[in-house]
Amino acid sequence: MKLTRQSQIRDAHTLAGAYAMDAVSAPDRERFEQHLAECEDCAQEIASLREATAMLGAAAAEPVPAGLKERIMAAAAVTRQRPPADETEPVPLAHGTWARTGIWFRSLAWPGRLTLATAGAAAAAVLAVAVVFGVANSSMQQQIDQAQASSQQIAVVLTAQDAHMTTGTVAGGGTATIVMSHSRHALVFTAQGLHALPGSRGYELWLIGPGGTRSAGMLPADSHGMTGPVIASGLRPGDHLALTAEPADGSAHPDTPMMLDVDL
Amino acid sequence: MTATGSQEPRNRARPAPATAAGTDLAGQIALVARGETTAFDAVFEQIGPSVFGVVKRVIRDPAQSEEVTQEVMLEVWRSASKFDAGRGSATAWVMTLAHRRAVDRVRSVQKEAERERRVAAAEIPFDEVLEAVESSLERERVRRCLGSLTEVQRESVTLAYYRGYTYGQVASLLGVPTGTVKTRMRDALIRMRDCLGVAE
Repeated sequence: MKLTRQSQIRDAHTLAGAYAMDAVSAPDRERFEQHLAECEDCAQEIASLREATAMLGAAAAEPVPAGLKERIMAAAAVTRQRPPADETEPVPLAHGTWARTGIWFRSLAWPGRLTLATAGAAAAAVLAVAVVFGVANSSMQQQIDQAQASSQQIAVVLTAQDAHMTTGTVAGGGTATIVMSHSRHALVFTAQGLHALPGSRGYELWLIGPGGTRSAGMLPADSHGMTGPVIASGLRPGDHLALTAEPADGSAHPDTPMMLDVDL
Repeated sequence: MTATGSQEPRNRARPAPATAAGTDLAGQIALVARGETTAFDAVFEQIGPSVFGVVKRVIRDPAQSEEVTQEVMLEVWRSASKFDAGRGSATAWVMTLAHRRAVDRVRSVQKEAERERRVAAAEIPFDEVLEAVESSLERERVRRCLGSLTEVQRESVTLAYYRGYTYGQVASLLGVPTGTVKTRMRDALIRMRDCLGVAE
């Protein structure tokens, strides 16, 4: 047993070089990281080897394509930063902001395959970049126009300190992206790929919570598969956001089954 | 990030700034953590070309390389507060993020076939790496240090780092047992580290 354990450790040690160059398969990476967590010497060795690999990387430097920096700066301007660790006190729950840190990280983590140019889930962020920086391309122009009146409010929500994003799948088809700010009592809603309704019907947004059920307005017609952004104000703690199909001129109460129900 | 009280984080010899361009990158990243966009601009100016360069070397496709560069830099923006100068240089932190993202991108199954086709058409021998790695003084050092490795060490490093291969893939390319490749990789990096003068 002991020999096996030792040989496992030796094996893990020899993996250090491959690991520092990301030259390990996913299972090897996981196994090695478990080992790293309990081997301070290994962690130090990896840190020092990474100084060397960083040099290898820096040696490959080449000029950055035109426009890339501007796109990154624009995206950063609407991307919330992770808070620093605070070991002296529990995370504050004021406004419910940090209560869903996990959701925030999952949804705004710019996961591996996400790009601003293509991801439906990033629709709100794309629009935010466009609205705030005036760099819209022609396919966005219509949404921008629709959003013009409320663009200021939208920018306020998207750039709020406590803004966070969540997404939901719409029954019947489509994906909704919601960026909300409890400090601003508002949210920005966009959707992609909503099923087209007959002309006599329209999508209506609702805020439902301890404060009652309030209509948050009808969604505009989609454009190139994208709906919104629309701003819904009057957000209160404990609300959910619901989406229903209603007569085109709206209802006082949600009558049909919820096509989307998201905790805010 | 900052330790309070008497418990001093165990301080391994702080690696010397890895590059001349790395001057005060750590300081700029601390400002980025406070949301300073001008500092983020400065960080990009300093390290953006290295990030883009290494990402493109691994991925090769320019459009995807731009996407991944953007992801990496946004991760730097988001996670600046998580950077811990006690655990390595800022350059190493950013370049580690960049290389890993690039490698993860090319290893994702759906991209693999596409990439195989491109890479098959474009063998990159060591010479090409050397060629790309010349000019500045700093590159000259890297070139010289790579040149001081044994052939198997050098090939293992360049195939793994610049092409994003796993040690298993490197082993089959070189026709060498995996155990040997693992050992060579570690020996090679230790030698590179010592040659480049980045302290342990």
